Amino acid sequence: MSETLASIADLDLAACAREPIRVPGSIQPHGALFVLDAAGVVTKAAIGALAAGIAADPIGRPLADLLPEEARRIVETLDTRLVAGRGAEHMGFVRTEAGAFHLVAHRSGGDIIVELERALGDEPGSFDEVYPDVRAFLDAVQRTSGIQALADLAAREVRRITGLDRALIYRFDEEWNGEVIAEDNGGRLPVYRDLRWPASDIPAQARDLYRLNRLRLIADAHYEPAPIAPDGGTVDLTYSVLRSVSPVHLEYMRNMATMASMSISLLSGDRLWGLISCHHLDPARVPYHVRAACEFIGQVVSMQIAAHEASALATRRDALRGVQGKLLAHMAAEDHFIDGLLAHPRDLMALTGADGAAIVAGGRCTRLGEAPPEAGILALVEWLSGEDREDVFLTDSLAAEWPDGAALKDMGSGVVAISISQIHDSYLLWFRPELVRTVSWGGDPAKRAELGPDGLRLHPRKSFEIWQETVQLHARPWQEAERDAAAELRVAIVDIVLRRAEEMAALSERLTAINKELEAFSYSVSHDLRAPFRHIVGYAQLLKKFEGERLSERGDRYIETIIESAISAGQLVDDLLSYSQMGRSTITPVSIDVAAMVAEARTNLTMEGDRHRIDWRIGPLAPVRADPVMVRLVVQNLLENALKFSRDREPAVIEIGSEAKEDEVVTHVRDNGAGFDMAYVDKLFGVFQRLHREEEFEGTGIGLANVKRIVERHGGRVWAEGELDKGATFFFALPAA
Amino acid sequence: MADLKPILLVEDSPKDVELTLAALEQCQLANAVIIARDGAEALDYLFARGIYENRKTADPAVVLLDLKLPKVDGLEVLEQIKKDSHLKGTPVVMLTSSREERDLVRSYSLGVNAFVVKPVGFEQFFEAIRDLGMFWAVLNEPPPRGSVPRP
Repeated sequence: MSETLASIADLDLAACAREPIRVPGSIQPHGALFVLDAAGVVTKAAIGALAAGIAADPIGRPLADLLPEEARRIVETLDTRLVAGRGAEHMGFVRTEAGAFHLVAHRSGGDIIVELERALGDEPGSFDEVYPDVRAFLDAVQRTSGIQALADLAAREVRRITGLDRALIYRFDEEWNGEVIAEDNGGRLPVYRDLRWPASDIPAQARDLYRLNRLRLIADAHYEPAPIAPDGGTVDLTYSVLRSVSPVHLEYMRNMATMASMSISLLSGDRLWGLISCHHLDPARVPYHVRAACEFIGQVVSMQIAAHEASALATRRDALRGVQGKLLAHMAAEDHFIDGLLAHPRDLMALTGADGAAIVAGGRCTRLGEAPPEAGILALVEWLSGEDREDVFLTDSLAAEWPDGAALKDMGSGVVAISISQIHDSYLLWFRPELVRTVSWGGDPAKRAELGPDGLRLHPRKSFEIWQETVQLHARPWQEAERDAAAELRVAIVDIVLRRAEEMAALSERLTAINKELEAFSYSVSHDLRAPFRHIVGYAQLLKKFEGERLSERGDRYIETIIESAISAGQLVDDLLSYSQMGRSTITPVSIDVAAMVAEARTNLTMEGDRHRIDWRIGPLAPVRADPVMVRLVVQNLLENALKFSRDREPAVIEIGSEAKEDEVVTHVRDNGAGFDMAYVDKLFGVFQRLHREEEFEGTGIGLANVKRIVERHGGRVWAEGELDKGATFFFALPAA
Repeated sequence: MADLKPILLVEDSPKDVELTLAALEQCQLANAVIIARDGAEALDYLFARGIYENRKTADPAVVLLDLKLPKVDGLEVLEQIKKDSHLKGTPVVMLTSSREERDLVRSYSLGVNAFVVKPVGFEQFFEAIRDLGMFWAVLNEPPPRGSVPRP
């Protein structure tokens, strides 16, 4: 059923769009129309109301010859008086055998179209008669503020000077549905105030015509059109005052029980903003000068609307620009612009007049104010990034664009989203909650047309019963200024991001250069600093070997000290180098059998001579995922330390074990040696940090720094527990294999 | 013993030369030691050209080759030796100044027979030289292909 209706509606729309309303081929019968060629000769005509006063066949004859003397003079001057591109102009008032007529003319291409509109009883009227009304209106306009007051005033004034039964101010929304925002009603016709009308009631083609010809009158919904001949269908009546309207429209009027109607276009700039729409229960004509006054009022109202809209937009823009300035300052103050936005949620939401906002960056979602739940926002972002869209996404009804969006309606029926980084799917979003409204339509908008009894021809609907619709899943609409503010913020953010990226690139370039320098430095240290120590040791040992017997005991001790010092200096250089190498070399993680590595380190260490008793207690060791070369150094180092600091114990007890957690393995090495004071635990892993005197335990103070560096480069952790003279335990956590 | 092949020591630092000689002396090797002070001189000896055009001495039993050398560096000397059909069997012991350099040599894998990081302690140096020097110099035979002893 609804499908049938929908297809009828489509047919209706298509039929209306095809309806040749500019070239209907006929006029309303209360006048006559002549198409004159450049020589003033009639090429086409609709005689209509002039029938009694003119030759039966005027085609091919100069119009001047066909009309009375008075009219002839006017016709002869038309060519010089008419300016191309203007609408129809009142050229004079003529009396004929068929009665009195207004002579109205305009140019259409190379032709002149002359229309004779039958005068009413008291015509010709004069603009002077309506001038006091118009002046009073202008004075009143000065005193009104706001569009509503202006609309009320215009409705009242137009009805007063036309004497028609009802004057409506009809305003189009973005979808071209109309709403009656003001009404002056004499009581003979139904009140339509606050009712809405579907866009199809005034199709696009009619709206277009309204933009060009600002006033239209239908005097009698029952009129018989007077055909233009020959080839009436080729005459463009865009600017005509007598243009015949579509039969469908006449039927619509009859269905509405209004026999006469007049509409005056209201424009804001070039856009058709609305209409002053007047209706009368009976057929009615409005005198020419009154219509002129109405057209003038329409122009004044149009100018006021345009000025009002421009100023409202400017005011809103100014306010938002202020907010934007604040946001930019917040963003600039933080290292990362997102922090600047997060710290000032109120300003962020004020930028678009939203009730909630969210920032989605790097898979993280931060909600501000009245924002939908995180899961919903993330799903929305996924949908947004999946579609190829413009930089600013904006909707008053998310559910209408994306069915899943209905779930977000409570807080996110209205959404503005700007993409701030395409690479990471980062978005800034604003939300407005659902605003459930009841809209009253002047008839069911879905049933705007129905099939006639013949089952073929379309008829406009007959029912104008108020039809109420509850509008759900919609938010308060976003304004143009709010949309622009979001777009401008996006540009600013992209600028900031780009600038940051450039700064980072410059920084990274500098770091690379510094790193290169460091590498060169460490190479030269390794090569050049090591050699002199080697030479000192070498020559001292040679001296001791060949001249040792001639040295005193003291001399012998001096040589020993020289040798030891040079060796430890050399060791220091080696350790430093390996430390710097740990920071630079790349990590190649593989699964490592820690147990095997511990066994190997144990063999190496015990080979090196410590003869005292060691009680090894090695538990099960879980494998880890890390770089084997580096982890070998860690194991070696910790075991070496454990041995070194427990060498005074009898027996030394060294316990090694591990605990496998969810995604990491914590391995520990415990000894019963010298231990350390927990007060100094923070110093334990620093470079050159020693907690023991050198004569107690030798070492350069780099070993544990190296351990820490290696583990942390794998994303792991190291820590230690100890007690003076009781022993120490070192823990390291590495990713599980 | 007169036909013992010499040891070719390629080393630019006079101190290292002296210390190495002292170490070799302690090994009590009978081999003569020929000293080249840069890579170019080493190549001249190996390929019997330049000042060594008419050398009477034999090809070396072992080459002790410092990595960092003036003119032609150690790696290039090594490459020349290993490319030459006549010389490629000659064992080469790379001497490096640091562990970093040892990694460098390893990465070239040009067929070095052994490498020694010159230790700071003379005693260790002595041991290293003795082990390596003895092995090849005394055996007086280049190792058979495919069985390369590791230090």
